[in-house]
Amino acid sequence: MSDRDQHSEVGHDSHEHIAHGGNGKYIAVFIALCLLTMGSFLTYFPFWREHVPYQASRALMLAISCTKAMLVIMFFMHLLWEANWKWVLTIPATFMSVFLMLMLVPDIGWRINNGYARYSEERWVYAANPQKIESSDVKAAEKDLSREDTH
Amino acid sequence: MSDSHAPKFSYQPALPIPNGKTCLWLFLSTEIMFFAGLIGTYIVLRFGAVAWPAPHDVHLSEPIGAFNTFVLICSSVTVVLALEAAKLNQASKAKGWLLLTFLLGCVFLGVKLYEYNAKFSHGIYPVRPHGLVYDKADIHYAAAVRKRLNDLKTDLTNTGAAVTPDDQARITVIDDVMRQVDEAEAAIRNEPDSPAGVIKLMELAYQIYPPHDHGTVLQAAEAGAVPPAALVKFAALEQPVAGEAANSQNAEREGLNEKYPWLRLPIMIPGGPMWASTYFLLTGFHALHVLVGLIVFALLLFKTLDRSRANVVENIGLYWHFVDLVWIFLFPLLYLF
Repeated sequence: MSDRDQHSEVGHDSHEHIAHGGNGKYIAVFIALCLLTMGSFLTYFPFWREHVPYQASRALMLAISCTKAMLVIMFFMHLLWEANWKWVLTIPATFMSVFLMLMLVPDIGWRINNGYARYSEERWVYAANPQKIESSDVKAAEKDLSREDTH
Repeated sequence: MSDSHAPKFSYQPALPIPNGKTCLWLFLSTEIMFFAGLIGTYIVLRFGAVAWPAPHDVHLSEPIGAFNTFVLICSSVTVVLALEAAKLNQASKAKGWLLLTFLLGCVFLGVKLYEYNAKFSHGIYPVRPHGLVYDKADIHYAAAVRKRLNDLKTDLTNTGAAVTPDDQARITVIDDVMRQVDEAEAAIRNEPDSPAGVIKLMELAYQIYPPHDHGTVLQAAEAGAVPPAALVKFAALEQPVAGEAANSQNAEREGLNEKYPWLRLPIMIPGGPMWASTYFLLTGFHALHVLVGLIVFALLLFKTLDRSRANVVENIGLYWHFVDLVWIFLFPLLYLF
């Protein structure tokens, strides 16, 4: 069966168009997307940066991006009105991409500069400056040296 | 025993959608994973980096990024309106909306090219030899500056013709920078344990390409690129200037590369090379997807977009929405984080 035959069978006609609420809903989604983009863009202005911690701004931006993505997927990509076949394709892809991201989390944990000197030797060679020696490490080294002297 | 009363199951051989749409969704599911991998890698590199340039240090303009987001959102609406028109057998209306989508896509790519050009003109490329960006002001950076100065001077003096006043002025600038490189290298060689040499190199690097954004120097200091002894001195360079003094002070902060565009000396941006690699990779792949979408739109514009082609418009529309979807995440990650 050709795509065109199948298409006429599945049926995308004016009835369906009306059932989805006409073009008004697309305009409403468009306005929502613009307002959400403006919401993200607010974080650019100095007054926002002065009053809101950057972690909160980042969380807000991610939340806004996820909301925008859902709006596009549901309305523009018509997944809201599709039959149950949509789960067959979207759930595995979502799981795989979320799993892919989660697999990278330990990498972030090990690479991030969190003050515990977790950088590998190789990373420090190419980093801006050699690893700073903590004062506690210096004291420990001095202790070791003094022990060696007494022996 | 008869099984005539056994329930009969009708076996469904495929998904209840056209084959083209099934293929497109399968393709999109692989694309989701492709971009998830790219964005995930960016997050690992970005948040694991010792230093990361502020947007203005790499000539990234947030309003331009927001404008491009708006353009893509508009194009998503126009393509969905084209589909609705095609479903209603309004071929000319569908073509009009598709033409508008095509134009909006071109605007997006045009703005992207403008943005790329802003980076290229400052020597910010993902790789050398075009790329002039160095992570830190060390002996390798000093050697690169020296090599560029030597090349420039050779070009000016080995022409065989008499040196013009203009050339002489250039040679004076080259000699002045070379003297600073010599002093810094001598300080590093003679006093390897003192930060004096590194401070001199930092001074030179910020003279060539001053920090453009508030907080850049502090971040560089946290990463260890700025010696603690010189922090106050360098932090003064990047304090935001307001009021009447703004223009004159900003002019003072103009780098040598901006003052003398012919110089094109290597520049120091902590985290700059990694930023350039990830930025151009992510936006480049996205732009490639936009380009493919535009080619399909251009081909479709020569067809009659009536009800019989609604499925084709739907498929390219799905692809285009996905391109929009990727940008929805790229914009805050690249411009605002």
